[in-house]
Amino acid sequence: MEKSEDWRKLSRRQFLKASGAASAVMGSAGLGVFGYQAGKDSFSYTGCESFQGQAENFNRQRFAADHATYEKVGVASRVDARTEVIFSRVSSLMRQWDEEKGLDSLDKGLQAYYKKHPYDLKEDLHARKKIFPKRQKDEIKYKKKFVLAKAWSNAMSAVWPPGIRETPERYDFPRGEQYGEPVEPLKMKSPEKTSQLIKQISYQLGSTLVGITKLNPDWVYSYPMWGRGLNPELPLEIPGHWEYAIVIGTPMSWDPMYANPNYGTSFDAYAKSRIIAYRLIKFIRQLGYPARPHTPGVEYDLMVPPIAIDAGLGEQGRHGVMITPELGSNFRPAVVTTNIPMKTDKPIDFGVQDFCKTCRICAKNCPSRAIPMGDKEVVRGYRRYKINSSRCYNFWYSNLGNIGCRLCVTVCPYTRKSNWLHRTALEVTANDPSGMSQRILSKMQKSFYPSPHPQEYYIPSMGGKNESYREPPWWLQTEDFIDIDI
Amino acid sequence: MQFFTSGFFWFIEGIFLCLIIIGLKYWTEERNIPMPFWKWLVILIWILYSGFTIAFIGTCLGENEPAAALKGGMLFSLIAIVSAYGLSRLLGFFRLTRHQPK
Repeated sequence: MEKSEDWRKLSRRQFLKASGAASAVMGSAGLGVFGYQAGKDSFSYTGCESFQGQAENFNRQRFAADHATYEKVGVASRVDARTEVIFSRVSSLMRQWDEEKGLDSLDKGLQAYYKKHPYDLKEDLHARKKIFPKRQKDEIKYKKKFVLAKAWSNAMSAVWPPGIRETPERYDFPRGEQYGEPVEPLKMKSPEKTSQLIKQISYQLGSTLVGITKLNPDWVYSYPMWGRGLNPELPLEIPGHWEYAIVIGTPMSWDPMYANPNYGTSFDAYAKSRIIAYRLIKFIRQLGYPARPHTPGVEYDLMVPPIAIDAGLGEQGRHGVMITPELGSNFRPAVVTTNIPMKTDKPIDFGVQDFCKTCRICAKNCPSRAIPMGDKEVVRGYRRYKINSSRCYNFWYSNLGNIGCRLCVTVCPYTRKSNWLHRTALEVTANDPSGMSQRILSKMQKSFYPSPHPQEYYIPSMGGKNESYREPPWWLQTEDFIDIDI
Repeated sequence: MQFFTSGFFWFIEGIFLCLIIIGLKYWTEERNIPMPFWKWLVILIWILYSGFTIAFIGTCLGENEPAAALKGGMLFSLIAIVSAYGLSRLLGFFRLTRHQPK
């Protein structure tokens, strides 16, 4: 027995020794990690945390795919920016519509479109006839609540590079600073190094994510928008120097974004992405290459989301918005077209298509029911979820807070801040081929994160309560700062 | 850099985990509970799971999502409590100890 007791004592001592050794190893390793993080962490770039490219930290190479996850099923047709882009169409309708003349008051292009899509005419006129009067009535009563939100949104869009008023042939090409003479492009060492350089410059300019792709002509408008230096009556011939597309972008401020549709604003990220794009074209032109920005709000010659998908930044979700691994749907991109030779990125497949098939949170929460609950449809030769943009746009204009809605962006389970919890969920869903974790996590999202009934987002005159998804951040709560009766 | 997101914090967490394991070892020795490798593994998994539950509640509260903290916290805590009971039976922690004669 004595022998056995000795053996146990010895064992305990040995264990304590091993614990000491393990503690020393762990302690050293812990200190090493601490030192490494302190040196590398983006928080150490005081005031410049966003400009190092460290936010683009999802291992895309692991999920690289030979083809983007959208599906081409027929002959593709390009978008007519004059009628198929809701902003252009409604703007033209508002300018031209005469109640007495009806359809005859519209230009030929619009007439043809509405004859083919009578439902859109009904919806587009609904805003003009029914929603605006109700909104005007409610504005008097309720809009004071959103004074700070509107002031903040307007402040964010106060710096706004002016749009393009010249053709690509005149605008895109660099000119000598003194005499406006043509500039010879500098010989770059390799496409790989140029990609590296362009990406780093984009990060330094403030872009959160950057992707590069060859421009697919299917994504360029068939007829251009007004105000791009191009004649909207003539088909848009794709210039030869629009060879590559660089996609840059930024997220909307997170806390107001969770208080959509009233307190968030698209214009904070719009302005940032726009400024980055205009700075980037300046940089590329200094190297002697042509460059043209396609930027928010509505100054594009092409559709941005599919180009961003081609550039490997994300996949398209049920709500029609691109979902990125790092920012979810909270990403406002801009594109720069150029011909500086670059190595392109591959599209990625990190499981969004399977997730969106069963999740449907965005569709259930959409106040205007613009997001489909059903399957994908063929749109212009590609299979995708078809959004009813007229219904979506009508809600935009009904709400009293900042213009827009963005609720689909807010409620998307991928749109979460980057912390251990959501990061783990992202990695688990991306790496689980069975799809079981995706189903479990979307169920948890639905039961753990409650949201108002979609009708409650509407203005009171339309049977709602002016609700927001979450409370606004303290700095947008008007009643706490301004002495007005709300 | 915030202390609780720093590497130094996790260094201290590691020391705590070591102390927990040392304490548990003494406790099981005193009660003559045999502790093969698989038992330590199961306990370690349970400790990590409990840590996840606590961190989940804290994170949800930090994100201003009290409903998620409450619902998720209750669900995960319930699993932790039930599994703790189950594990204690499985690992023989609360069996009557038979003192060995000296």
